[in-house]
Amino acid sequence: MEHTAADIRFSDVSVTYPNGYTGLKTIDLNIPAGEMVGIVGLSGAGKSTLIRTINGLVPITSGSITVGAHQLNGRGGAQLRGKDLRELRSNVGMVFQSFNLAKRTTVLNNVLMGRLYHTSAWRILLGAWKNDDVELAMSALERVEIVPKAYEKASSLSGGQQQRVAIARTLAQRPQVILADEPVASLDPPTSHVVMRDLQRINADLGITVMVNLHFLDLARRYSDRLIGLRSGEVVFDGAGADADESVFENIYGRSLTAEDVLDGQAVL
Amino acid sequence: MSTSLSSPTQHRHERPTKPKLGAKYAAATAVLLIITIWAGIGVQVDLPAIAANWRNATTNIVQLLQPDYGFFPKTIPALLETLQMAVIATVISSALSLPLAFLASRATNPRPKLLAAVRFLMNMIRSVPDILFASILVAVVGVGALSGIMALVLFNISIIVKLVSESLDGEDAGAQEAALAAGASWPKANRAAMLPQILPSFASQVLYTFELNIRASTVIGLVGAGGLGILIDNVRSFFRYHELSLIILEILVLVLVLEALSAWLRKKLV
Repeated sequence: MEHTAADIRFSDVSVTYPNGYTGLKTIDLNIPAGEMVGIVGLSGAGKSTLIRTINGLVPITSGSITVGAHQLNGRGGAQLRGKDLRELRSNVGMVFQSFNLAKRTTVLNNVLMGRLYHTSAWRILLGAWKNDDVELAMSALERVEIVPKAYEKASSLSGGQQQRVAIARTLAQRPQVILADEPVASLDPPTSHVVMRDLQRINADLGITVMVNLHFLDLARRYSDRLIGLRSGEVVFDGAGADADESVFENIYGRSLTAEDVLDGQAVL
Repeated sequence: MSTSLSSPTQHRHERPTKPKLGAKYAAATAVLLIITIWAGIGVQVDLPAIAANWRNATTNIVQLLQPDYGFFPKTIPALLETLQMAVIATVISSALSLPLAFLASRATNPRPKLLAAVRFLMNMIRSVPDILFASILVAVVGVGALSGIMALVLFNISIIVKLVSESLDGEDAGAQEAALAAGASWPKANRAAMLPQILPSFASQVLYTFELNIRASTVIGLVGAGGLGILIDNVRSFFRYHELSLIILEILVLVLVLEALSAWLRKKLV
């Protein structure tokens, strides 16, 4: 599998939702290709919004975001839509908290959804996937060690396995970037580590930029090169995980660390 | 935990009182009663007339209880025609309904104007009784099975589209979101992510409409649209109730067999 990475640059990005709620406030970020970034913050701090602006799932209100050769603009700027938007999205994989698989079809069919952009409509209508794409999907499953289950129904897999299928689906896109929105929030601690290690390995082996929203601080510190702390839609920390001590977390969370903020159940880092 | 259960007198929290719904239930019952009486007066239910005239029915009922089994061979062609009409109408209408159902669901059609247009068309088709479709089509394409099939197709589409689009509305759209996020267009995302999710419910609706078609095809036959209906109309107009009763018996058996078959199939599907 050949993957190329892309820089992501946020310039003065703000998001205001139609109900007046401010999702992001004047964000400036530069994420070089190949970085593994953890994003932490309270729920409502804008983690999900930040991640979803990158593939255009949440439109930005002002400023601009460049992802490789593509640019997303705020209101008034040139809007990325139709084929151009789909091309950007085909380069950006996304992993969701609730796995988002089609549970009644096979694991393989789910992974092949990563090839929808590159497959003609009639092939999709008839379910006649190209052999190359099937092989690509199989090798993606191999990377997350689920290949023997390729022809099983997605619903028959455990939560951790379903999330790894979802990761394989993004790999089948041959993406430049993988966005993961709370990928382990529905999983138990041991499974969380397995999924995080998968993402880490993908970042290290394939050089794909990975941006992960995480609720648990210890997971974020352990698995990312760089940590971004959000509070009320603003970046309040941006640096190496090792530099993020308890005072930094107090600044991000507005309170001191508790056992509920770490996966392993103790209020220490 | 166990101590608080064994000493019920020491409550840590005040127990809430059960809300009183008596007045609300009484009001609802009164309203229902008033509506029923109003409806009864409106359609002029004449109980004394029923009591006086019930004997008129007895002669017919006695004849209907004695089916003329010798008539069976003569009903076979019409019986088969009813079955064939139902099969063809079901196949054609399921093929047409599937894309329409995706256009008629908020979950799979992102264009509000197209959505409204398709839903309006479906509501219009559904509000026309099947027998009216049949009589219009008999006038246009002539007496026989073809007009019957066309009427059944229209009738079926309105049902399948309604039920399948509703199950699309209720379906988890997570996989579709993932497909769109991976750069798929809406039609591709719907085909790959939503279709597999609703196939069992679609198949179940198709089987149900097939059952309905057997019943409906006998009714629309009354206006000349082919099948057993034409035969029913014939024997009824000559007051041959022994033969009519055999036809009804045949329909009953057919419907029961198909119902059992489709119940079994549907169980396999889910």
